[in-house]
Amino acid sequence: MSKIMTVDILSSIKGAEPSEAVNKLFEVIKNANSTNNTFNNVFNNNNCICLNDLRDDVVIESSETEKQIIKENFPKEKDGYLVVAKVIEE
Amino acid sequence: MESQIKQIHQQLVSKQVRCTDLIQQKLDLLKNNAHNTVNSLLDTLALNLAAKVDDKIANGETIGLLEGIPFGIKDVYMLQGSYTTASSNLLKNYKSAYTATAIQKLLDAGAIPIVKENCDSFGHGSSSENTIFGAVKNATDTNLVAGGSSGGSAVNVAKDFTVFSIGGDTGGSVRQPAGYNNIYGLKPSYGRISRYGLMAYASSTDCVGPLAKSIEDIRIVLNIMSGKDAKDQTSYASAEINEDSILNSDSIKTVGYFKNFIESDAIDVQVKADFLATIEKIKAKGITVKALDFFESETLVSTYYTLAMAETASNLSRLDGTNYGNRIEAENLKETYAVTRSENFSEETKRRIVGGNQVLSQGFSDEIYLKGLAIRNQISENFNNDFNEVDIILSPVTPSTPPKIGDSLKDPHAMYLSDAYTVGFSLGQLPTLTIPQGTATGLQITAAKKNDELVLKFANFLKDTI
Repeated sequence: MSKIMTVDILSSIKGAEPSEAVNKLFEVIKNANSTNNTFNNVFNNNNCICLNDLRDDVVIESSETEKQIIKENFPKEKDGYLVVAKVIEE
Repeated sequence: MESQIKQIHQQLVSKQVRCTDLIQQKLDLLKNNAHNTVNSLLDTLALNLAAKVDDKIANGETIGLLEGIPFGIKDVYMLQGSYTTASSNLLKNYKSAYTATAIQKLLDAGAIPIVKENCDSFGHGSSSENTIFGAVKNATDTNLVAGGSSGGSAVNVAKDFTVFSIGGDTGGSVRQPAGYNNIYGLKPSYGRISRYGLMAYASSTDCVGPLAKSIEDIRIVLNIMSGKDAKDQTSYASAEINEDSILNSDSIKTVGYFKNFIESDAIDVQVKADFLATIEKIKAKGITVKALDFFESETLVSTYYTLAMAETASNLSRLDGTNYGNRIEAENLKETYAVTRSENFSEETKRRIVGGNQVLSQGFSDEIYLKGLAIRNQISENFNNDFNEVDIILSPVTPSTPPKIGDSLKDPHAMYLSDAYTVGFSLGQLPTLTIPQGTATGLQITAAKKNDELVLKFANFLKDTI
């Protein structure tokens, strides 16, 4: 994985380049002062979830309407099957 | 303004107004409006629901407070069977397969959705110009932007095309357009309302938020949508806010404001003068006012955008045209992804995705993304300390009045900086309400996390004070 990936590849956007407007924001962060002890209390009082509150790991059957709309949204259909473009072979 | 929901409810119950007539009137207003607020009308659904409400009333059945009340939905919420485009080319023909929790709760209460509303594509913008449906025009001056990203929702409420609308607020997208169009707009505490079915922009600050013309209507709609939802594990259970409980603000003894917001060179002279005049009126009521230290605006904006871009790059990676969306075929799957995304995303969306991937890349994540997270924690700590000293923080919504249509697109960096007063409260996940008073673009009232009730209390106090 030593290959350097440019932002256009990472973003799957052709010809994409870093923008000046956004880089100006990043410069502010690079130059900002921050204390380094904050990772111990990331969102200290916020978004932790108790294990007992985790939702059940169950399969919920979609309604017929939902299934039909999912198929409608699918971009391609051939002989009754939903098809994707050619697989990546590299 | 008093509650429009209650007023219309009375008119329906007393048979002064038929629900179908009311809905048809609103649909006509939306259809003919010149503000570009509409992505799609939900006329068939709305009129069918209205006929059922009329039948119930005719049969002498009791109807709930929200039954038959027409409302708008920012076009980033799932509503089964409706087009949900995010104002983007990629999803211009996408139909929701399911319904968002917040919207389902409104449907269950009998409210009638009449329109999917124009906004910045995927919430990416502060002006509602970044959309395939044409720039949304301000409610009072059509040469000016509506604000964003929930611009269509704010204008629909301001023009009485909807009684209330449901926007989404990630860095100010409900509060800023509410300010630009002189209405109320609430970003509740993060997690108070389930995000399930809201198209994800930046998941750690995305909030469902109501826009309306009265505090009472905000309260009614907030209560309906709030609650823990197993489909959004960051949501939490909250107590209902009673009407009586927000009428008395005696518990509010101390109010703070950030002095660097007001002393900034970027603030409009009149906005500053009006804000300081408001502070004096509050002091005259015997409330202690404290000037607080806070982070520089540039640091707030940069921290917010760094994290929001990282999150949106990740969230939008699913939009590759494989399972849904406007797929453009190319010679292989990788090329298909790239061409689909390149051709279908707007320039602003691409800028944010690329920015996000920049900060998440090896070599950059330490000095930008991780540092951004660290600064966010400092901001949260700062808020925690502030709310030990004050009950409420008051601030302007924006440094200046709405720009002309076209200006924000020319200078994205200036647009980012215009969010200076809203993004901090998003990073803190705090409840913040825009009220249409105090400055030309209103005021923001903020309380400690999960204390949304106090925000509404203080809004009622200010309604009678300034």
